[in-house]
Amino acid sequence: MAQLIRNPFNWILAVIYAVGLPLTIGRFIFGLGWATHSSYDYPWGLFLGWGLFVMVPLSASGFMLGTTVELFGRKDFKPIERLGLLNGLLGYFFAVVFLQVDLGQPWRLVYPMFVSLGPAAVLFLVAWHVATYLSVQIAELVPAASEFMGWIKPKKFIKSIVLGLTIAGIILSTLHQGALGALFTYAPGKVHPLWFSSAFQWFHFFCSSIFAGLSMLIVVSTLSKWFLKWRCDKTFLESLDRCTLGISKGASLALITYLVIKFIALAHDNNWGYLLTGWGQWYLFEITFGAIIPLALFTTAIRSNRAGLARLAAFFAVFGIALNRLNTALIAFNWNLYQEIPHWREAIIAIMVYATYIVVYRAVLYRLPILYTWKGDSK
Amino acid sequence: MNRRNFIKGSLAGGLAVAATAKTEKADAAAGTFGGYADSMGVLVDLTKCVGCRTCEAACNKEQGLPEPDKPFDDYSVFDEHRHGGLPRRTTEKEYTIVNRYEVEGREKPLYRKFQCNHCNEPACLTSCFVNAYTKTPEGAVIYNPKVCVGCRTCMIACPFYVPTYSYSSAINPVVKKCIMCYDTRLKFGRPPACVEACPQGVMTFGKRKDLISLAHKMIDAKPGKYVNHVYGETEVGGTSWMYLSDVPFEEIGFNTHLGPQPIINYVKDFLAIVPMVLTIWPALFTGFHLLATRKQANKDESNKA
Amino acid sequence: MSLKRGKLIGLAAIIAMASPFTQPLNAVGEVFELSSLSNLYEGVSFDHDMHIEAASDNCAACHHHTAGTPTQDPNCIPCHKNSGEAESAACSSCHEAEPFTSANLEKTANTPYLHHKEKPGLMAALHQNCLGCHSEVGGPLGCQDCHTMTDKGEKYYNTGKYAPKPGKETGHH
Repeated sequence: MAQLIRNPFNWILAVIYAVGLPLTIGRFIFGLGWATHSSYDYPWGLFLGWGLFVMVPLSASGFMLGTTVELFGRKDFKPIERLGLLNGLLGYFFAVVFLQVDLGQPWRLVYPMFVSLGPAAVLFLVAWHVATYLSVQIAELVPAASEFMGWIKPKKFIKSIVLGLTIAGIILSTLHQGALGALFTYAPGKVHPLWFSSAFQWFHFFCSSIFAGLSMLIVVSTLSKWFLKWRCDKTFLESLDRCTLGISKGASLALITYLVIKFIALAHDNNWGYLLTGWGQWYLFEITFGAIIPLALFTTAIRSNRAGLARLAAFFAVFGIALNRLNTALIAFNWNLYQEIPHWREAIIAIMVYATYIVVYRAVLYRLPILYTWKGDSK
Repeated sequence: MNRRNFIKGSLAGGLAVAATAKTEKADAAAGTFGGYADSMGVLVDLTKCVGCRTCEAACNKEQGLPEPDKPFDDYSVFDEHRHGGLPRRTTEKEYTIVNRYEVEGREKPLYRKFQCNHCNEPACLTSCFVNAYTKTPEGAVIYNPKVCVGCRTCMIACPFYVPTYSYSSAINPVVKKCIMCYDTRLKFGRPPACVEACPQGVMTFGKRKDLISLAHKMIDAKPGKYVNHVYGETEVGGTSWMYLSDVPFEEIGFNTHLGPQPIINYVKDFLAIVPMVLTIWPALFTGFHLLATRKQANKDESNKA
Repeated sequence: MSLKRGKLIGLAAIIAMASPFTQPLNAVGEVFELSSLSNLYEGVSFDHDMHIEAASDNCAACHHHTAGTPTQDPNCIPCHKNSGEAESAACSSCHEAEPFTSANLEKTANTPYLHHKEKPGLMAALHQNCLGCHSEVGGPLGCQDCHTMTDKGEKYYNTGKYAPKPGKETGHH
């Protein structure tokens, strides 16, 4: 308890909850119109713009690390695999929480699964894949929980099907990360052409989710190193720099691919003219700070073997991806109409849900064998 | 499930779908659904509208909508502007509205009626993941509030910005839009309430294909009277509501950049990769795994040796 | 051909009898009541004499034709030049009170003639005719300049004593 009060971060959390909780309760009493600036023209606000479209790509680390370790047999990434999986699971789980805050009718959450099915819709794919992928990720983290609880059987079982789970993870991730992008192909005239490409939208989202997830993993591992050092074991701390640089390689490959496709999309739709407008400058800002600079930093870091630089790059990349998703979903959406600024209540509720994500994240890292290896297993 | 069962299962599923949906498939194979042959429609001759707002009142009564903010004979609403300086739009309480446009070079202002256009291949319908929308053979695009989860993708997708949402409701927010009076009138072969109430005969109700030919005849009969375009004949795959105007459509708030493709066509690039990923990825990545771990196995062996 | 025409006339007669607008309109020099909207509005007392005077005795200014003269409407002349006298001058003898009944839809769909297809319904014909002229000569244009709203009408339009209380606006932008 004393420790709880000593940590200044908890004070910030307390303030966030003091303001955020009543507002969140208010949202469920007075409706979405009370809490947000969502309108007939701007149906989606921060809850989806941030909670779904930013959280999900930043949580792609689960399937990336699963693929690397289990599928490609890169056991050298094992120390950070579980953090990657946890980052994935929590990110997805809180994306669903955000979705719930937005939809407000929890009992209808299962409708697309069981009550009324529209399988030809992109969102159907997102719903099913996020739901199944959540269970895949839970399964992938069962070993960590079973170690904590002292169970043996579940862990053994998961180990036997881990390859299947991993491949399922790749399929589901490819499709739902892509599908989040494809959702905007329903609005060809509404999203600014610089952020829209009917042919490549899904690939933009999928490809960028790769470096988004990897960069987020670097960011989280960095934060863990800074603030949770006592919980990390020697293996984790010693291999972290090497893992970070290894992950950076993956991230920079994805970044290059992403930039190339972005470039091709510009050429394919012949959108060069837009680059000279104000929107073009905003677009170039996003590309420069969110993709080119992190790419340059990542490659320099890899060449000069400087993990610190890679960490800086990761922060840029995470910022870049968040900006890209917010641009597509909110800022460059309805560019022909007018700009919408989120309601302050909406912002606070979003911050509170995100704070809950951090609290849960921290609580899991405190306890479960994520940053450290369970003694029974190290033999 | 082993692979053979999987293939068997998907084949059986595929066949069942093919058998039940044979008629729709013919159109789908051609790329787009062109709309039901005998679908009804409404032709709106904007040159005749005098802005009396009777259609708004008729809609309000027919659909049992809440009391309006201002009386329906209050014409100050034409001066109202909402966010971004835009003219009025449909809301959860108004499924149809009339806006006034001062057009340069036109003696009198032009009034434009606005409501759901009832697309042949509606974006709201194709984007809905709970199948809440139905395009009826009569032409109406109707909505089932019982299954809607409130994701509002239909509002994102609708190129005309038609569907609205009852944001004020906490317990059961639903989408609200014109349903062409399907339940009370269209189903029984009667025109929507706004059409029947219009004192000026702005709207002509009939089979969509008859209305298209009528519209072109009207354009041809009086050269110069109308702009030579029937808005809605081809836009986003065609709509049940179509418009004639004597001023260019872009000057009176119509989006003239929508193109002839139904919105779903823009999504097909992605939909096409779904089965590919589903079928190719497992084999591909199992192959990767075998390759990668064989190297590992070799290494282990050479280490041993 | 003649059979078809006979049928058409028969139909028109039936509609004319069924419609609320059945008074003979050849009664020059009367003030009479137009009451087809009597649900929402009081009947409109129409001063025929005054309008005849305003039109300088030119009946065709309002009527495409009067009983006794062939049509003078430029849309109709090309075909109906030699059709002879019309049987009735009543608007309702051609313009249907309910233009979109399935029978009427079939009729308009099957006729090859554009002006038969785009023929407005009775209410539209009257309003287009009256308002068209009124806006040219500066006659009254507002709905209630001619129509007095009934209680039902006020309810329908949410006006008068049914007007919404101001300031309770809950509009969502």
